[in-house]
Amino acid sequence: MKKKSMIGWMSLLVAVTMLTLPVQSLAGKVYKLGLSLAITGPTSDAGNPYSKGVEDYFNFVNDTKILGDDKIECTIRDDQYNNDVTKRNFEDFISQGIVFYLNYSTGSTLALKKDFEEEKMAVIPASFHAGNLIDSHYIFLPIASYSTQAIGLGEYIVKNHKGGTPKVAMFIHPSAFGRGPVEDLQKAVAAGLKMEIVEVVEHGKDLDNTAMLQRLLSKGVQYVISQTVQSPVATMLKDASGLGLVAKSFGEAGKITFLGCHYTGGNDLIALAGASAENFYWTTSYIVTNEPSPGATAQLELAKKYNRDEKAANSHNYTNGMMVAQVATEVIKRAKAAGKEITKVTLYEELQAMNGDKAFSPGTTVGPVTYSKTDHTGVDTLQLYVVGGGVFKSVGTPFIPVFAEKIK
Amino acid sequence: MSSNRWLATGNYFTSYKEEQRIFFTSLDRAAMSLLLLCLFIWPFFIVVDNKYMLVIDNILVAVIAVMGLNLVTGFAGLISIGHAAFVGIGAYTIASFARVLGDSHALLTHAWPLLILIAGFMGAVFGAIVGLPALRLKHLYLAIATLSFQMIFQWTINFMNFFNQGQTISVGRVVWLTGQVSRSQHYIFWYYAILVVIVFCGFAVRNLLRTRYGRCLVAVRDNDRAADAMGMHPGFTKVYAFALAGFLAGVAGALHAYLYRGVGIESFTLHHSISFLAMAIVGGLGTLPGSFLGPLAIKVLDLQVERLSEWAGAHLTFATNLATALRPLSFGLVIVLFLMFEPRGIANWWRIARSYVKLWPFRY
Repeated sequence: MKKKSMIGWMSLLVAVTMLTLPVQSLAGKVYKLGLSLAITGPTSDAGNPYSKGVEDYFNFVNDTKILGDDKIECTIRDDQYNNDVTKRNFEDFISQGIVFYLNYSTGSTLALKKDFEEEKMAVIPASFHAGNLIDSHYIFLPIASYSTQAIGLGEYIVKNHKGGTPKVAMFIHPSAFGRGPVEDLQKAVAAGLKMEIVEVVEHGKDLDNTAMLQRLLSKGVQYVISQTVQSPVATMLKDASGLGLVAKSFGEAGKITFLGCHYTGGNDLIALAGASAENFYWTTSYIVTNEPSPGATAQLELAKKYNRDEKAANSHNYTNGMMVAQVATEVIKRAKAAGKEITKVTLYEELQAMNGDKAFSPGTTVGPVTYSKTDHTGVDTLQLYVVGGGVFKSVGTPFIPVFAEKIK
Repeated sequence: MSSNRWLATGNYFTSYKEEQRIFFTSLDRAAMSLLLLCLFIWPFFIVVDNKYMLVIDNILVAVIAVMGLNLVTGFAGLISIGHAAFVGIGAYTIASFARVLGDSHALLTHAWPLLILIAGFMGAVFGAIVGLPALRLKHLYLAIATLSFQMIFQWTINFMNFFNQGQTISVGRVVWLTGQVSRSQHYIFWYYAILVVIVFCGFAVRNLLRTRYGRCLVAVRDNDRAADAMGMHPGFTKVYAFALAGFLAGVAGALHAYLYRGVGIESFTLHHSISFLAMAIVGGLGTLPGSFLGPLAIKVLDLQVERLSEWAGAHLTFATNLATALRPLSFGLVIVLFLMFEPRGIANWWRIARSYVKLWPFRY
């Protein structure tokens, strides 16, 4: 009896093995990627839609078989904006055998820089801090750095200011993320950008900026360039609005024109500041969904396909996440097309070859993504937007700041 | 002394010396030897991912820091809410060497045991300085004084260019007898290094508590006027309690710097000070086993809550804020529950278990 039952089980095992073997040989390969970011905790208002953008695009790649039978498996981990947790997540991803890594904050990117070098792992962070690229061979910024963005805003001020030398203040986050562009903007001024940086304000968790705004006004400041996140900017704009200090037109005399880099703007700012956000100038390399474009359509369709709400679908952070996923997919696609095995080495090579006629246009950015051995900044082009009627509208055409090159 | 060297049902002390023994029975000694043996040999049999090795190493670093906090708060009764700053002093001592000499200078990579000691001494110096207000201040006021130190520390690091304004300062890979410790060996190497430090510190603290200086700590905690009347020096005792706590914190900070191969202010904030305090409370204030059990409990809890909030953040999109709050909520809840229902901490459970064994076969 026992013998019969044993033979039965063995036969079943053999049958199952025979049936699954062809399936396994037909199944495509799985490429593992990792993303560690703040889905909860500080800055999760940016991290949450960012993670959805990444997740949805990779699901789209797998569902629509963009890589044929091969699939991308991107593990997304919440680090709650804590560098120690990011390091732990990165170690976990390495153990899993990832071939490409997506990181998030400036702090963790700087903290893990040496690990990226040792692992020879290509990394695209959500941080556009220029300092990420110093002493690094494996970090690739998706778009123009915060420094380039601030210089771009400075150039726009100089170009459109009427009267003498424009007086500018900087309103920054008290961290490397905020402080990064200050020195570079000062260098641009030293290199001939004709404006005066009157004061650099590092904000705390202030709930009232009245005194600061009055002080800036008394110093003749007409422009405030912000490099921080939305909520402090919203507080400042509300206070400025309450004091009647917001310029109705760009550079209006006796008033202040507010401008900001990538993470200061987006729909979240409008939601937080309401009508006070009107006439706020914002620069980024991403498209906005309220202006028709193939990229905007693709983004909205993607969000709809995966049942995202309106807020996430129209978030520039969703665009940001989608774009880095597009770049990662593109390098895998190109490596496959070249007949290369998909490894961290080949993806690194493909990323560095993304230039010239091999530049990549994801549609979600205002310019092409280009990388090379010496250029680790993806989209060099910036677009200026201004809030009008409760939405961000393009101002002029995409541009590349001249002084960003001059100070290199 | 009991006639049975392995099991002593009851106390048989006939002298103070006997009462001060490190191990009361042979069973105690054997159990500790076995535990140490297990701690040293398990990595040869069980392969653990770097992720979990980092968690284990992190717990061990916290054990050293909490041992220090337990000395000052648990044994000496002086509340310190700035312990992470002392840990930070140790880490930034290493970072200062890296800034001045370069992150891969031989002093940092070859003479790292010496630098860890120096970091400990720096922690002790700052501990003694911060301990000076303890001569005049007590309870809540002393807590505020240590909190101020935490704030001053954070502010100084955040705004000084020398400390890279709080951003990560890299520390190079260390060299051991077999050459440079590679990336694949890193976490296991530091596991052993930290474990050795823990064994030394653990026995040092246990021995300290057997000496008059250790008993002075407890006496000052219980009643400093009575301690003064009995010939002790409460002022000196308080200062050296802070200095010793600072030393252990400094050592923990240096080990943290080497383990993470970098130092950033994010790892030494007020939140971390509160965490250390929570570890000491949950583990058991004024007990040596509490210094081991507290960090283990809190770090494991942290890891589980982290997973839960990650799951909630990813799947319950409407509850992102709740997911964000889960961590501090569970953390606070654990402290409150322990203070309410088990103020003597997990160490008390350990004491009960030991008493059970000690009294066996009689009922506890």
